[in-house]
Amino acid sequence: MASTSSPQSGSAPENRASDAILAVRDLYRHFGGIKAANGVTLEVGRREIAGLIGPNGSGKSTLFSLVAGTVKPDSGQISFDGHEIAGMNAHRIARLGLARTFQIPAMFDNMTVTENLLAAAAQGHWHGAKERAAETLALLKLEPVAENRASDLSGGQQKLLEFGRVVMRQASLILLDEVTAGVHPNIRKIILEAIARLRERGISFLIIEHDMEMVRNVCDRIIVMDAGRVVTSGAFEDIVRNSEVMQTYLGRPQ
Amino acid sequence: MKSRWAGLIIPVAIVVVLALMPTFVNNYWLRIATGALMWAGLACSWNMLGGYAGYINFGQSAFFGLGAYTTALLMGDPINLPFFVTIPAGIAVTAICAVVVGGPTLRLRGAYFAIATWAFAEALTQFANVMNFTGGIGGLNLPPFLNERFFYYTMVGAAVLTYLITWALFEHSRFGLKVKALRDHEAAAEAMGINTSLVKLQTFVLSAVTASVFGAIFAYWVTFINPKSVFGGDITDQMVVMVLLGGLGSLRGPAIGGVGLFVINRLIWMHWGDTAFYIAILGAAIVLVVLFLPDGIAGLFTRRSTKSGTVLDKAVGKLVGGGEGGRG
Repeated sequence: MASTSSPQSGSAPENRASDAILAVRDLYRHFGGIKAANGVTLEVGRREIAGLIGPNGSGKSTLFSLVAGTVKPDSGQISFDGHEIAGMNAHRIARLGLARTFQIPAMFDNMTVTENLLAAAAQGHWHGAKERAAETLALLKLEPVAENRASDLSGGQQKLLEFGRVVMRQASLILLDEVTAGVHPNIRKIILEAIARLRERGISFLIIEHDMEMVRNVCDRIIVMDAGRVVTSGAFEDIVRNSEVMQTYLGRPQ
Repeated sequence: MKSRWAGLIIPVAIVVVLALMPTFVNNYWLRIATGALMWAGLACSWNMLGGYAGYINFGQSAFFGLGAYTTALLMGDPINLPFFVTIPAGIAVTAICAVVVGGPTLRLRGAYFAIATWAFAEALTQFANVMNFTGGIGGLNLPPFLNERFFYYTMVGAAVLTYLITWALFEHSRFGLKVKALRDHEAAAEAMGINTSLVKLQTFVLSAVTASVFGAIFAYWVTFINPKSVFGGDITDQMVVMVLLGGLGSLRGPAIGGVGLFVINRLIWMHWGDTAFYIAILGAAIVLVVLFLPDGIAGLFTRRSTKSGTVLDKAVGKLVGGGEGGRG
């Protein structure tokens, strides 16, 4: 472990418990012999945008599924906005104010773009949903395809719609799983602007991202995962200076 | 709001034609119309879960039969209740059974639910076959009431109500959005706070009690039922095929499929005195529709996509692959 390196170690408790919206402690989940979560400990502060990086298979997406309740942990605690949510059903966690995107866009294929947005608000946040759907369509420049079926959208538009549904949820913490991967620079710009606007409203983010430029520009803090554990966390510059991390993540010594 | 009124023309025309039907057809055709309405209603009931939620029910005849047997038992000796009192009783019995069957199995993948519903219908058939109070294989007689117009208008009422509820609930409400969301991607629906297990169960219960109402009317109409005539698997098969041909997950699909196939069936029977020929036509029609019209005949009237991810893909995906199947 990198416990002696200058960025604080992920396995040591961080001194931000009071203002953390998400606190994960000693989270374990094994799939057969694969240790997808092998003692994950991390926190996301209120109004913070935390970036989650790590090589493929390091357990980032599994961590999202564990936090969102899609996958149940073997052991460990997850505290979200004052509630202990480890093992809770996904829809109950969502109702507490957690929203997520999926790595592969999870469209409601046979529904229109507008219906996809409305469905995201169908549980709980229905008041004014039609107006918010219209705003979201405008914000993400999806108006021309508002009445198209989601399955007819391009890959980039589906990424936008996936993001738009999260915006509709009025969540306090949003988990974004490679939301700009493979999308056109124009669409990426739209998403980044929207993230900035949502943060101004007090929403926190945990973002899985492979694009280091985006990580540098958007994230307040970087959390590095490898082999189902948090290796280290800290400011982007500190992480980049740490040669061990760069070897883990980029496979090249500095 | 011009288009809103234009959208009312067809429903109003249908209701007017239905209301006036007895004045310009004879009793023979009135019986065929009554049957066509029953099948349109049953197809719609199957479509609630199969089309809107994507969960294939292979035992819908169980609920048709529960409605029929409840009415037959309560109207017969020694209870002798009036017909309209027996309908809510059938609804209650059916709702309890649907919760017992669907509660545990709708949490699992679609194939488990399909097998459970099929087994439930088979079990009820055998139960009705061996028990004394159901009349065994011989079945039950109901007090005859030979008034074709009464049954026609009762069936009109049930069918119109079924389609109105479906229109309001599945096409124009938050509930419908939740149901369609879980059909297309269950994990994403859960991530939006939708309790998918509960929504599926609610849809299943509504679908089941709708079928039970038609079973109750059917029993009183034909005045004689036995296990095969109301629990038989061919009743479910008919509903599935009508919805597939008409169009899964749409409002008009089951109406087109239900009325169309039933009338074709009767015409073939009138001309050849046998419906074996009907089965052959049906087989060919299913193959053609699945290959070329994944949105069914109703899909011809709407601009629909030819890409993968149709409602049919979703339902088949839930059946064979479970999870979020359907994206090819």
